[in-house]
Amino acid sequence: MTALLGRDRRTGASVVLVLLVVLIGVNAVLNPARLAPAGIFTTIGLVAPLMLAALATTPSILSGGGGIDISIGPMIGFINVMMVLFLFEAGIDSPIVVIPLVLGLGALLGAFNGVLVAYVRLQPIVATLGTFLLFIGLTPWIMSQPGGDAPEWVLRLGDDFALVPVAFVGVLWFVIYRTPLYRYLMAVGGSSKAAYTSGINVARVRVFAYALGGLIAAVAAIALTALIGSGDPNIGQPITLKAIAAVALGGVSLAGGRGGFIGAGAGALVIFQLELALTSTQASTFMIQMIFGIVLVLAVLFNAIVGRRR
Amino acid sequence: MISPGIRQAAARLRDSWIMPLLLGLALFALASILIDGFASIRTARAILVLASFVGLAAVGQSLVIVMGGIDLSIPFLVGFANVVAAELFGAGLPDPVVVAVVIGMTVSIGALNGFLSKRFGVHPLIITLGVGTAALAAVMFWTAGFPSGSAPDWVTSFVSIGATTGPIPAPPIVLFWAVVTIIMIVVERSTSYGRRLFALGSNPRAAQLALVRPLRMWVATFAISGAFAGATGLLFLGFTGKAFGSVGEPLLFQTIAAVVIGGTSLIGGLGGYVRTAMGAIVLILLSTMLLGLGVQSSLIQAATGALIIVLVSVYGREAALRDTI
Repeated sequence: MTALLGRDRRTGASVVLVLLVVLIGVNAVLNPARLAPAGIFTTIGLVAPLMLAALATTPSILSGGGGIDISIGPMIGFINVMMVLFLFEAGIDSPIVVIPLVLGLGALLGAFNGVLVAYVRLQPIVATLGTFLLFIGLTPWIMSQPGGDAPEWVLRLGDDFALVPVAFVGVLWFVIYRTPLYRYLMAVGGSSKAAYTSGINVARVRVFAYALGGLIAAVAAIALTALIGSGDPNIGQPITLKAIAAVALGGVSLAGGRGGFIGAGAGALVIFQLELALTSTQASTFMIQMIFGIVLVLAVLFNAIVGRRR
Repeated sequence: MISPGIRQAAARLRDSWIMPLLLGLALFALASILIDGFASIRTARAILVLASFVGLAAVGQSLVIVMGGIDLSIPFLVGFANVVAAELFGAGLPDPVVVAVVIGMTVSIGALNGFLSKRFGVHPLIITLGVGTAALAAVMFWTAGFPSGSAPDWVTSFVSIGATTGPIPAPPIVLFWAVVTIIMIVVERSTSYGRRLFALGSNPRAAQLALVRPLRMWVATFAISGAFAGATGLLFLGFTGKAFGSVGEPLLFQTIAAVVIGGTSLIGGLGGYVRTAMGAIVLILLSTMLLGLGVQSSLIQAATGALIIVLVSVYGREAALRDTI
């Protein structure tokens, strides 16, 4: 547990975990049906895409140097459309073929961002703004209207097997955590100069971070396809800002090298629980957005103040 | 074999503001050849009006990025100002009061962004996103999602593409933008604020030792960004007629794209507003040209993305890590 929290476990992540417990308590009163054991997998299926998008945004931020992949949202939308149009609609729907292809595509797209950042040496926000625009431009071009179908096994990943995509990424991260890669990633994020002088190949580690983010984005795309059961060219764009908010809520420092997957995942859960609680009180969408903005600001300020005092 | 002199000259050209200017001229020439009637006063006016909106909204983004920050609240504050201005004009308040109230509010929200980011050391990306979302949602909540009111005539004629300013065949917003650009050149080059801004952006620690007060600079610069976002939102009212909370949405990436295409570095301390103004024109030129060629709008965004990557690969690369140790 503490392993997955990363070095920042006493500051950022603890705030978000407290917030999460409080919100689950509130929802247990307001929305017992959503949290009841009978519907728990449907609920997980609902939150999984955002949670995975937050996890996909995390490695690039951890890798430091102003690292951030803002193209994650549109990338998820792009993969969703590619998967539905070129695999499912073409009759290719065996999981043994689909999963490696989709994950490979995600890793490749992420690695492209990584190469732009680490080898072409563009500032991460600029490089991924470029690919952000490429993805939101190309997606409606290859599929102009929402449509298509997803095979049965994909749909079940949004329902009674909803835990599988999240668990897959959890296990993946745990494996990485047990290898030197994790230390390289945190070292590069903490101080790229120190990492460089101690012989770490900084550029390669950064490409790895972005490729990992892309791979997780592909898992998020599968979870999203499971949820909506089709391809939708407009669904990806709004995900980015929410995912960044989740990561920040979860105590991952945008300066790099501090934070972990548990915090980022919990941040996404907080956003989901907050929306759930507010929706059930019949609050308007504007009210929800307003409270969301205020909670985001207060939480990161609180993180900063607690972090400083430590 | 290229002689060192030529290479040096090429590097200097690459780093100067001539690059975005040449790019703009090349695009204009290309569009004039490809599209019949592109090289007309009417088209030029339309491009300049659209570029004025992006350029005015990007004033703050440009300053904030030079300082080493980033401002994601601009699209939200543009929408905020658009809705509040429409409501207040609709309520029959005198025009100067409306303008003062709207700009006053966006300036305060901008100042809050700068204060919270710098005072508590939180990345401005998160603060401006949160504060911006909350501010726009608050006014949308206030108007229950259906903002009323409309633009008074002077705002409409200020931004109308067909309008002229006295003897000059361009609408007032274009001249306003030109004046703002000249003021920005003076501010950046010849005022103590401008010198401090660049000092803070290129080396925050050294700037502080040179008695630049970072907190004060951040509050002031984000407040300026709020002011221009507010002005842009107010002027948009004349363009759209009615209020839309989402009117600023494309500006989130357009303002950053204008800054980046102009050649200002996100590392801070390099670049300037003249570049951003030209970046705004290049951005609008490219999309107008592709639209004229019948390219569908989503592909125009993809082309913008590709342009950003290619341009920044040419003149916005960071130093190699091995050279910074």
